[in-house]
Amino acid sequence: MNWRRVLLHRFVFVPLALAILVGGWNLYIVYNDDGIIQGVVRDGSGAALAGATVIFFERNSAYFEERKRTITDAKGAYRFTDMQIHIGQLEARTADGRQSQRRLLRLWFRAQNIDVAPLIVR
Amino acid sequence: MRRAPTWPRHAIMLAVCLLMLVPFYWVIKTSLTGENIYAWPPSIIPVNPHLFNYVDVWYLIPFPRYLLNSVIVTIMAISGNLLFNTAAGYALTKQFPGKRWIVLLLLSCMLIPFQATIIPAYLITSWLGVLNSWLGIALPMLSTIICIFIFKASFEAVPRSLIDAARVDGLSEWRIVVRILLPLSKPAIATNVILNFIWSWNAFLWPLIVVRSPDMQTLPLGLARFLSVMEDTTGALFAFVVMVLVPGLTIFLMAQKEFIRGLTSGATKG
Repeated sequence: MNWRRVLLHRFVFVPLALAILVGGWNLYIVYNDDGIIQGVVRDGSGAALAGATVIFFERNSAYFEERKRTITDAKGAYRFTDMQIHIGQLEARTADGRQSQRRLLRLWFRAQNIDVAPLIVR
Repeated sequence: MRRAPTWPRHAIMLAVCLLMLVPFYWVIKTSLTGENIYAWPPSIIPVNPHLFNYVDVWYLIPFPRYLLNSVIVTIMAISGNLLFNTAAGYALTKQFPGKRWIVLLLLSCMLIPFQATIIPAYLITSWLGVLNSWLGIALPMLSTIICIFIFKASFEAVPRSLIDAARVDGLSEWRIVVRILLPLSKPAIATNVILNFIWSWNAFLWPLIVVRSPDMQTLPLGLARFLSVMEDTTGALFAFVVMVLVPGLTIFLMAQKEFIRGLTSGATKG
């Protein structure tokens, strides 16, 4: 049997190529789906903001509602874990009433690990 | 004699092809951008295209479950069609009393729209106890009359002497079908597979009636459900449409040669 010819037949090649793509993608997901969302909060001058509250909003069928919140550490860093979401928004607020713009997060798969670009509080 | 140039004909054909592809392009473009389809003037080129609408569809509704249901029902419908249509098509190549009336009955049944037979079909399905199941969804699609005639025409094109020789060699009727007729009827098989794939993949009315639980819904039902529960979903809706269409399009593109050959075989004699 001519294996090269069999493998290059379109009824074999296309499903095989799709299976490899899907398999590869799922393998990538397995190693990157801890649900970690992390980043830093800065002020307008670029300095890290410690003690700022970062709120995560999850989308329901019609709007975004608050799901979790956390506080930034001394380096202005925050971290959410076990976030089983693929879409949401992030916002940072400080004790003196300042806040950042809401940042829309769209992930390629549920619980994707992601480093978010700095949230700027003005 | 000087031949007329072919480029004007090709240019017209190309323009018609592009015109035919515009709706597909528009669906794909909207699925990538989510822009308002009623916006004026419409943007021909997608603005900020992305694939996140596809991710939304995958997670906002149980898309894998709908896909699984559609795949299983389609496989059942195709398998049933290949089995029953082959048997019926072979039987109709034989001479037996009342054959003419059976052919007439089958042809006249093709004139009755499926919608007119839905109530008896539902009652039969209920009586068999297969409502809200894969078998129940596939049941009316397990055999289709037009595909019986496709097999009949294909089997009749096989030389009689070949079948007689197989019979002399001691092959039973089923082995004649499996070993002799089916290998010579690949275009008919391909036509059966493709037509039944399209019909069962796109079926909406019958699954809507026979399915009761959300877990058993197929992709077309999922599309309707998606529309009813989500708001502000233009992009995701069109992404869903593309995801429903892609398997069928892929199979058609892979098998178009067999499909066209199967539909045109027997169209001319000699």
